[in-house]
Amino acid sequence: MYNQFFGNYLFSKGYVTKEQLIPALMRQKDEIVRVSTLALYSGYMSPEEIESITNLQLKKDEKKFSELAIEKGFLTQDQVLELLDAECPAFLTLGQILIDNGIFTYEEFFNILADYRSQNEFLELELNANSKDVVQSLIDNFSLLSETSFSSFGKSYLELLFNNFIRFIGDDFTALLPDLCKEFPTECCVKQSINGSYGINTYLSMEKSTAIAFAKRYTGEEYTEFNEFVFASIEDFINLHNGLFIVNASNDHSIELTIGILSAENNSLISFTNRAYHFPVCYPFGIVHFVIEIGNITDSAIL
Amino acid sequence: MNINDRKVLICDDSILARKQIKDILAAFGDLTILEAFDGQTAIDIYKSQKPDLVFLDIVMPKKDGNIVIKEIMAFNKDAIIVVVSSVGTHTQLKCALEAGAADFIQKPFSKEQMVDVINKYLV
Repeated sequence: MYNQFFGNYLFSKGYVTKEQLIPALMRQKDEIVRVSTLALYSGYMSPEEIESITNLQLKKDEKKFSELAIEKGFLTQDQVLELLDAECPAFLTLGQILIDNGIFTYEEFFNILADYRSQNEFLELELNANSKDVVQSLIDNFSLLSETSFSSFGKSYLELLFNNFIRFIGDDFTALLPDLCKEFPTECCVKQSINGSYGINTYLSMEKSTAIAFAKRYTGEEYTEFNEFVFASIEDFINLHNGLFIVNASNDHSIELTIGILSAENNSLISFTNRAYHFPVCYPFGIVHFVIEIGNITDSAIL
Repeated sequence: MNINDRKVLICDDSILARKQIKDILAAFGDLTILEAFDGQTAIDIYKSQKPDLVFLDIVMPKKDGNIVIKEIMAFNKDAIIVVVSSVGTHTQLKCALEAGAADFIQKPFSKEQMVDVINKYLV
């Protein structure tokens, strides 16, 4: 779950560029966390000790990291077993990939982790948080990091959106910081408007290969190629999400909104006349782009 | 009447939603399934085929579900129409029921919800 924060944190602090972060996020599903990373995270080994063992491994490549660490007295057998049994946070694999890619050294990653821990107290959050709390924190983080103020409706909309991603697609995503956009190049894209006192245009766009994986998760069906059912899954998701939003607006705020007919906006460059926010949501199978263009909102400066 | 002699019209602009309902109906037998992807086509098919049950979305091209309900009910006051929509607001629910819908299922629907409705109106 904490990938949702950690990726954003690295990006917003300038530790990684989008170009470095996105391929690393995509590789995560195939990555197994190593003893060295676990030892760093647990505090059993310092970055210098890990570097020394990995350097030693280059010379004695037949030996495992854990064997060499035990030989050097950095780890005990029991500690190795404990590390292998421990439940490891998913974001550690992200750090590990970035180290492997030469973006960080172990020492830099160690310092980043310490900084991240102190700022986010994520250890405590990790043990106690449910999806709802995590999504609320995610939106607050967005607001803080992107210096965007969201209205209560905007917050409700985004909370529901990320909850629906968790509910229908999976919680293994990293929601990158939103950016303001004047234009957006679409791939497989569906548009739907919400009309009324909270009027917005919404777009959901992704590459074909991402759409296939998205549809598999959404429907539970095995799609091997892009077809009309795959595209309909994108339509269905956005329609369902917007439908649920206007039900909530009606039930919780007594505000009656309507949703428009879905339209395909494939492979085009959308130019926005109003303020538009792009929310990239990075799953292991690809990036899902959600765009919200402000239409009829009383305060047009906020979402 | 044997279930295999029954006709069901599914009207939804989403091919995925139509398939999901068709898959559930298939478990009940070899009934006739008719499909429409917009409101006007739904009305035309209803008038020509007189299905026993209609599953109807609300937000659709050409004519929205509320207009479809009214036109079908004007044609046959005994028509059984079940609205299946993501737009389950109180206003929408009231509107659909007042127009003559027999039931309202909020999307995303479960298989059990759909089976209950089929048992109630078709079996």
